[in-house]
Amino acid sequence: MSEIKGKVLKHSEQTRTMHWVHLICFIILGLTGIAFYFDIAGIVNLFGGEAAASDVHHWTGVIFTLAPLVYVLFNFERFAKFIDTITTFTKDDLGWLKTMGGYIPFIKAEHIPPQDKYNAGQKMLGLLVIAGCILMIVTGFPMWLLKHSMPPVLVWLTWKIHFWTAVILILAVLGHFFLAAIHPKSRVEFASMMIDGYVDAEYTSHHNAKWFAELKKAE
Amino acid sequence: MNIFVEKSGITRRQFFKGAGILAATAVFAGVLAKIGIDIYKASDKYIEKRIAGLYTLDEKMTIRKSHENPEIIQIYKEFLSPGEVRPLSEKAHHLLHTKYGNDIPKLITELTAHGGHHAA
Repeated sequence: MSEIKGKVLKHSEQTRTMHWVHLICFIILGLTGIAFYFDIAGIVNLFGGEAAASDVHHWTGVIFTLAPLVYVLFNFERFAKFIDTITTFTKDDLGWLKTMGGYIPFIKAEHIPPQDKYNAGQKMLGLLVIAGCILMIVTGFPMWLLKHSMPPVLVWLTWKIHFWTAVILILAVLGHFFLAAIHPKSRVEFASMMIDGYVDAEYTSHHNAKWFAELKKAE
Repeated sequence: MNIFVEKSGITRRQFFKGAGILAATAVFAGVLAKIGIDIYKASDKYIEKRIAGLYTLDEKMTIRKSHENPEIIQIYKEFLSPGEVRPLSEKAHHLLHTKYGNDIPKLITELTAHGGHHAA
C-alpha cells in the first residue's frame, strides 16, 4: 500500500471552464462543419436550417477564438507554465514515446520514464491543438468575411487548409477522448479536467513523477 | 488529507516562452489581418471601378430603356402581340419567360404543339 495519500489540484477552475467552453464550441463547430461539407440535412436542420446553421458556425467560431484569448490574458502565469511544459522535450519524453507510455497493448513497456505535468503524448497533443486552432481561426475568418473579395486561389487554399486541419483535429480529439474518458489506465484523470480538478496524489506520483516531485518540494 | 495545490510564480524561461508564443501569434494574426484588409480594399476598389465603367457605358448608349427600343416595339407589333405593343401577351409570356429544370420538357412539348420551333 502506497504511503502517498491525498489529492493534487491538476487543473484550476479557470482552466476547466475554458476547456469546457472550447469543448462545447468544438463539438458545435465540428458537427456543423461536417454537415456543410457532406451536405447532411439532418444535422443542418438540428441547427435550424442552412442559414441558421451557418450563423451558428460563424458565431461559435468567434467564441472559439475569444475563449482561449480571454483565458490567456487573465491567466498568463498558467498559460506560460503550460507552454513551457509542452515545449520541453527531454530524454524522458523520448523514452515515453518509445513505449507510448504503456497504453498500446503490443508495445512492450517495462520501464516508463518519469513525466512532467503532461506526458509526452499530451505535450504533442497540446502543440497540435494550439497549431490546429490557430490555423482554423486564421482560415475561418477569411472564409466567412472575405469570400467575395479574395482571389479564387486564396479561397481554394483557405478551404483546403480549414478542411484538412479540421480532419486532423477531429481525429486527435477523438483519440484524446478515448484516452481521457474510456481507456481504463488513463480515465482516472477524467474528473480532473471535467469536474473538480483533482487527481489522486498516488496516481500522480507514478504518472507525473517529475511534476509531483516539484509540488512536494514546493510544499 | 494532503492537498497539493498549484505552485505560484513563474520562472524567467516560462515567462519568455509564454510571451514569445503570444507575440508570435499576434504578429502572425496581425500580418494575415493586414493582408485580409488589403484584399478587401482592393476588391472594393475594383467593384467601384466596375460600377463606374458600367454606368459610363450606359450613359453613352443611344437607347437606354428597353421599352423604347424600336426593335422591341417592332417584335411586339409584328409577332408577340400583332398590331399592338402588349407586354405579357400570351405568346410573349410563353416565349420570353425563363423555364428551367423539370419545366423544360413541358415547354418543348408546348412549343412543338404550337409549331413553336418555327416561331422561336
